[in-house]
Amino acid sequence: MRYVSAVIDISGLVKTFGPTRALDGLDLRVEAGQVHGFLGPNGSGKSTTIRVLLGLLRPDAGTARLLGGDPWADAPALHRRLAYVPGDVSLWPNLSGGEIIDLLGRARGGLDGPRRAELIDRFELDPTKKGRSYSKGNRQKVALVAALSSNVELLLLDEPTSGLDPLMERVFNQVVAAERDRGRTVLLSSHILSEVESLCDHVSIIRAGKLVESGTLADLRHLTRTLIHLESDSPPRQLADVPGVHEVQVTGHLLTAQVDATAMSEVLGILAGSGVRSFTATPPTLEELFLRHYDGTS
Amino acid sequence: MTAVLGADLGRGSGPLTGVGLAFRRALRADRWFWLIWVLVLWSFIPATATAYRSTISDDAAGREVAAGLAANPTMRAMLGPPYDLLHVGGFTMWRVGGFGAMISGVMAVLGVIRATRAEEEAGRTELLRSAAIGRHSLLAGAGGLGLAASGVLGLLIAASMVGLGTPVAGSLCMALGIALTAAVFVGVGAVTAQLSASARTARGVGLSVVGAAYLLRAVADGSGSGSSVRWLGWLSPVEWAPLARPYAAERWWVLLLPLVVAAGLIALAFSLEARRDHGAGLRAARPGPARGGEAFDSADALAWRLARPGMIGWGVGLIAFAVVMGSLADVFETVADSPELAERFRRMGAGAADLRLAFFVAMLGILVVLVAIWALQLVEHIRKEEESGRAEAVLATATSRARYLGAHVVPAVVVPTLVLAAIGVLLSLQSGIATNDASLIGRILGGALALAPGVWFVLGVGVAVHGLAPRLALVPWVVVGWSLVVNWIGGVLGFPESLLKATPFGLLPRIPAEPMAWAPVIVESVLAGLLIAAGFWGYQRRDVG
Repeated sequence: MRYVSAVIDISGLVKTFGPTRALDGLDLRVEAGQVHGFLGPNGSGKSTTIRVLLGLLRPDAGTARLLGGDPWADAPALHRRLAYVPGDVSLWPNLSGGEIIDLLGRARGGLDGPRRAELIDRFELDPTKKGRSYSKGNRQKVALVAALSSNVELLLLDEPTSGLDPLMERVFNQVVAAERDRGRTVLLSSHILSEVESLCDHVSIIRAGKLVESGTLADLRHLTRTLIHLESDSPPRQLADVPGVHEVQVTGHLLTAQVDATAMSEVLGILAGSGVRSFTATPPTLEELFLRHYDGTS
Repeated sequence: MTAVLGADLGRGSGPLTGVGLAFRRALRADRWFWLIWVLVLWSFIPATATAYRSTISDDAAGREVAAGLAANPTMRAMLGPPYDLLHVGGFTMWRVGGFGAMISGVMAVLGVIRATRAEEEAGRTELLRSAAIGRHSLLAGAGGLGLAASGVLGLLIAASMVGLGTPVAGSLCMALGIALTAAVFVGVGAVTAQLSASARTARGVGLSVVGAAYLLRAVADGSGSGSSVRWLGWLSPVEWAPLARPYAAERWWVLLLPLVVAAGLIALAFSLEARRDHGAGLRAARPGPARGGEAFDSADALAWRLARPGMIGWGVGLIAFAVVMGSLADVFETVADSPELAERFRRMGAGAADLRLAFFVAMLGILVVLVAIWALQLVEHIRKEEESGRAEAVLATATSRARYLGAHVVPAVVVPTLVLAAIGVLLSLQSGIATNDASLIGRILGGALALAPGVWFVLGVGVAVHGLAPRLALVPWVVVGWSLVVNWIGGVLGFPESLLKATPFGLLPRIPAEPMAWAPVIVESVLAGLLIAAGFWGYQRRDVG
C-alpha cells in the first residue's frame, strides 16, 4: 500500500551531461500529502532531478515514477496534475504578466479564476507589466501565481522564493501551508534552510547527485547535536569526559557545549548539581544539519 | 557632438569614460562575428576581379557581352548602374561593389546592435555601467569597433585591388565607397538600437532600412535610362559608392554624402541615448492587458503571438519588394522597341524566349532566398525559446513535445509559402494587366510555387538540426548563405554547373523560362518532409534545455 501512495518514486537515477555526473544513483521518495523539502547546495542535482520529473531530461539509468506514471512517456497527461515553478524564471518580454499566468494555467488544463485574483492580490503583483520590465522577484511572483492558481495534486517548486523579499516570503509560506492543509503534495527544493524548516514535514538531503539523508525533521534532529549555554556557580568541567559531549568551553561562570541526543539525560543529571543560574538549549537548525553534511567531512 | 568629442577619453568622469575598455570588450566578444563577415565580404571582390577575363574576353565577343550586360534592365535593377565593364576594376565595382556595399550595411547593422541593444536587453551591460564607464562609452566602443571593421574592409579591398593591378585611384574610391557605406549603417544600427527596448525590433528596423535603400536604388536603376525616377538613387545610401564611379572618372565629392550622413547618424544616436533610461527605448513601456484573451490558451496561440510581429514585417516587406520590382517590368516594352537590343538579349537570356519572363525568373530567384531566410528565422525562434528557458515553462504544462514543435513549425511552413504565392501574383500583376495577359500571372505564380520546395527544404534542415543536433544551429544558415553566394556570384566566379545546382533551389525548374519538371519538385518536397519528420522524431527523444 505504501508504494501505491508514493507521488514521486525515484531509484538509482543517473543523469550525465558529458563528463559531469549530475545525478549519481539518486533515490527519492515523496508520499502523497507530504510537504517534502529537497535540500542541497548549488550544483548538487536538485534542478536536474526536477527536470527529469518534468520529462524534460531523459535519465541515463535508474527509474523515476511520478503520480504513478512515467514522467518521460506520459509527460503531457501527468502535467495536468502538477504545477511547476522554476528557480530562474524567464518571461516572454512582450507579454504581460497576466497574459503569461493565463497562458500557462490554461495550457496546463485550467485556471482557478478567483484563486488567481486572490493570489495576485496577496503577492501584490501588477499583472499589466510586460515580461521584460519585471524585476527578478516579480518574475518569480508571476511563476508562483501561475502555478498556484491551479487545482493540481502536486507542486514542484524549484527554489521558488529566490528574489522574493521577506514579506513576500511570508506570504509564500502561508500559501504553501494552506496548500498542505488542502492535501496537496509539495516538493520544495531549496538551499534556504529556514524555509524548509518552517514548511516541510519531510526532508531529503542531496549532495553530488546522491541522497545522503532522508526522513522527517524529527528523524534528522536525532542525528545532530544540541547547543547548550550554561551559567553556573561552578561549571562542571567533567562534562568533557561524557561520551557524546563535544567542544566544551568554559570561561569563568559560562559553559558552552554540544550534546548528542543520546547523551542528553546524563548531561542534564550532571548539570542539575552545579548550581545553575541560567540555561539555554538550542535545537539544531537545518543550517547545522546542512553544514554537517556538506562541510566535506561526512 | 562637440561635447562628446571634447570629453576626456582617458580618466575622469565624462560620458565617454572607459571607452577604450568598452571597445576592447566588444572586440573580445564579437571578434569572430566581424572577422568572418569582413573576410567573406572582402573575398568576393578580388575573386570577381580575378575571374574577370573568363566572363568578358578581350575581343569583339567580350565587348558584345559587356554591352549586353550594361543594357540589361534586370541586371541594372539587381546590381546597379554599370559605368565601365571593359576594364577589370569597373566590372568588379559593378558586379560586386554596389551589392557588397549593401551587404556591408547588413553586417554593420547586425554588428552594432549585437554589441549594444542585445547586450543591454540581456542585462549584461548593467554591470559594466555600474563600473567607471560613461553613459556613451558602450555605444561609442561598439560603434568604434564597427567603424574599425569598416576601415579594415576598405583597406583589404584597396590593397587587393591595387595588388591586382587596377588603377590606384579607382581602388581607393571603391574601397572608400564601401567602407563609408558600412559606416553609414554603423550609424543606422546605433540609432535603431536606441529606439526600442527589444534587440529584435532594432534589428528589424535596421535591416528594413537596408532593404528600403536597396529597393530605392533598384527602382532608380531598373527603370531605364530616360526615366523620371533616376534621381531616387541619390536618396539610397547603398547607391552612393556606385555613384562615386570608381574606375570611371571618380567623382570623389559624392563620398562626402556617406561621410556626412554617417557622422550625423552617430551624433543622433548619442543624443537619443542621452535622452533615454538604461534598458528602455525612447517611449516608456506601455502596460499590457491584465488577462490573456480567451483564445490565448495553448502553445499554438503563444507561437503565433510571438511570430506575429516578424510575420507582419517580413510579409509586408517582401510583398512591397515584389510590387515595386513588378512595376519595373514595363521597361522591357522600351527595350523591345529596339530590335538590335532585343535580339542581343534573346541570345543572352536564361533560355527564356521573353525578356520579361527572364526578369521574373531572376526576381523570383532573389525573393525565394529571402523567403527561406525568413522561414529559417521562425525556426531560429524555437531555439531561442529553448535557450532562454521559456520552452521549459510551456513543456511543463500539458503540452507534448510534438504539439510544441508543431505550434512553431506549422506557421513557419504555411505563412512563408502563402507569401511566396502572393509574391508570384504581385510580381506579375501589373505586367499582366498592362498587356492584358492573365495567363502571365498564372505562370509566374506557378514559377513561385515551383520554388517552394526549396524553402521547405531549408526549413526541414532547420527543424532536423533543432531536433537531432541543436548544437549545429549554424548549419541551416550555411545552406542559405551558400544559396545566396551561388545566386549572386557563382556564375561570375565560374563555378562548375554541378556546384551551381547544389543549392536547395538549384535543381528546381525555373518556370516559365524552363518547362515544369515534376521530379525535382516532388523529390525535394518529400525530402523536406522527411527532414521535418526527422526533426520531430529527434525532438521527442532528446533532453530539452
